[in-house]
Amino acid sequence: MARNGTSLEAAHALVKELIAEKLKYLVPMTIIFIVSYIGLTVLAGFAKDLMGIKIVGSVNVGFALIAFNYLLSWALAIVYGRLAADKFDPLAARAAIEISGRGN
Amino acid sequence: MNLTLGIFIGILLITLGITYWAARRTHTTSDFYAADGQLTAAQNGFALAGDWCSAAAFLGFTGLTALYGMDGAFYALGPLVAFCTVLFLIAEPMRNTGKYTLGDVIRSRMQTRTSLLAAIAGTVVVNFAYLMPQMAGAGVLVRLLTGISYDWAVLLVGVSMIVYVAFGGMLATTWVQIVKAGLMLSAGAIMLVMILSLVHFNPLTLFADAEQKYTAKYLLPGNYLKNPFDQISLGLGYTLGLAGLPHVMTRFYTVPDAKTARRSVVWVMFLAGAFFAGTTAFGLAAANYVGQDVIRAADTGGNLTLPLLAQYLGGGKDSFGGNLMLGFVAAVAVATILAVVSALTLSTSGAIAHDFYVNWVKRGQVDGKQEVWIARIAAVVIGVLAIALGILAQGVNDAVLVILAICVAASANFPVLVLSLFWRRFNTGGVVGGMTVGLLSSVVLAMIGPAMLGADALWPLVNPTVVSLPLGFLGAVLGTLISGRDVENEKRFDAFLLQVHTGMTSR
Repeated sequence: MARNGTSLEAAHALVKELIAEKLKYLVPMTIIFIVSYIGLTVLAGFAKDLMGIKIVGSVNVGFALIAFNYLLSWALAIVYGRLAADKFDPLAARAAIEISGRGN
Repeated sequence: MNLTLGIFIGILLITLGITYWAARRTHTTSDFYAADGQLTAAQNGFALAGDWCSAAAFLGFTGLTALYGMDGAFYALGPLVAFCTVLFLIAEPMRNTGKYTLGDVIRSRMQTRTSLLAAIAGTVVVNFAYLMPQMAGAGVLVRLLTGISYDWAVLLVGVSMIVYVAFGGMLATTWVQIVKAGLMLSAGAIMLVMILSLVHFNPLTLFADAEQKYTAKYLLPGNYLKNPFDQISLGLGYTLGLAGLPHVMTRFYTVPDAKTARRSVVWVMFLAGAFFAGTTAFGLAAANYVGQDVIRAADTGGNLTLPLLAQYLGGGKDSFGGNLMLGFVAAVAVATILAVVSALTLSTSGAIAHDFYVNWVKRGQVDGKQEVWIARIAAVVIGVLAIALGILAQGVNDAVLVILAICVAASANFPVLVLSLFWRRFNTGGVVGGMTVGLLSSVVLAMIGPAMLGADALWPLVNPTVVSLPLGFLGAVLGTLISGRDVENEKRFDAFLLQVHTGMTSR
């Protein structure tokens, strides 16, 4: 159980690195889904004509964008799961080892 | 209607059986509030789907789509998108920093008694605003489906909920949710296949038929939400309000670690997302096959659309298949209400017993055995109060309360939670400022809006989130700046961040 000042500082440094890594991916991902979904509600409120343009049969732009938002949310969930396992978890585990002296 | 009553009693017996089983395994405080953190990702994912698909949601979305077209599909999409916020920002930090409640997270960050009180206020207001319309909805639905009177229906639902929570705690609540989610998803899958076979597996036909029957206007936005800013409020309220609903968030304490919490969110996104996408198809099918006139005649708000569609798909009004399908869907709706009110009662009892009594009044000086009993007593008291409010609420406009719950969650709880997790300078003054401004602006604006005052409204929006959410953040930031720097708290922030991101404590 190494719990001296150096290992605590090392752990805090690793957490800073982890946060920077998270921000690098999560900020753009958050912007994507917020813009896509809130954008959809703005279009619904202010651009009804655009939403009514038909694409396939009676399905219009509005319903197509709704379907796109479903697919986007699911895709982002899968991407996040991958990112977390590949990039975030290893860093968190290293910080945890610095603190406790053993694995997570 | 006798078949429905029979299925309803069957579900009550199953859930009471679950409670008996769970009660024998519920001994410690951690068992009671968090199922001892032993659930798997799939179990918690199903339970989250159960929590998040309230009867108001799945009956309401289908009805709105059937009567108003695209606006119903907007309502259904929001809850899925909301889980992106939860997945990216909230689920893992919640799991890492708290034990049983939202108040735990704020307390562990601020370590002040005032901030804990503010967190309790946020939880209790949101939960009761959500609980009251659920109880009233339960009364209406059970009366419609089984023929027993409104007051008896509320009493029956309330007593069942008290039994589940007080005896079986989180374990019983969770398994009631899982059973309900399983029933709901199978009912949805069966109905979807039946609808698809009606249109020869070409979903485009659903849209074409709807256009032919109700003109192209039906497939445009704005038939239900007339004010454009209401559309945006709805979007904001969903995407950010979910992250402030205590009864959903405390589900992350029921799994062993942050990785499992994360996987359970991915589960719920696929389960609930697929079901909500299904409600759009159900709504269109109901408009095409059942017809808007019949739907309106049964209930002006469209809340009986899904049961009516089930009856149609099963073979129609006088057929055995039709009544069996109707009974099944009705029973799922009742199971949903039971499960959601139980989760709300459990989460409120966490705020009252754990946050307020144990941590605020007694300053944490209560032994574990005693704490479980305090929690059980709190659950009973909250349940009795919910029954009384449910009976009083008959005929009250419950839409305004649902909006209020989501709006307060987004405008008060969400800013405070996010800033606690991510802003070093955020302090107790900020917690109080954000909570007070977010709460007051939501309540006042919802009360003077059209949902409450109709044509005499002093303020044009049904849902004030688009204004109250920025106000909540503003209150939090101003509160922080005005109350001066809390140097000790800022020093502790590195240790807190370590806990947020790794679950390890260095203290």
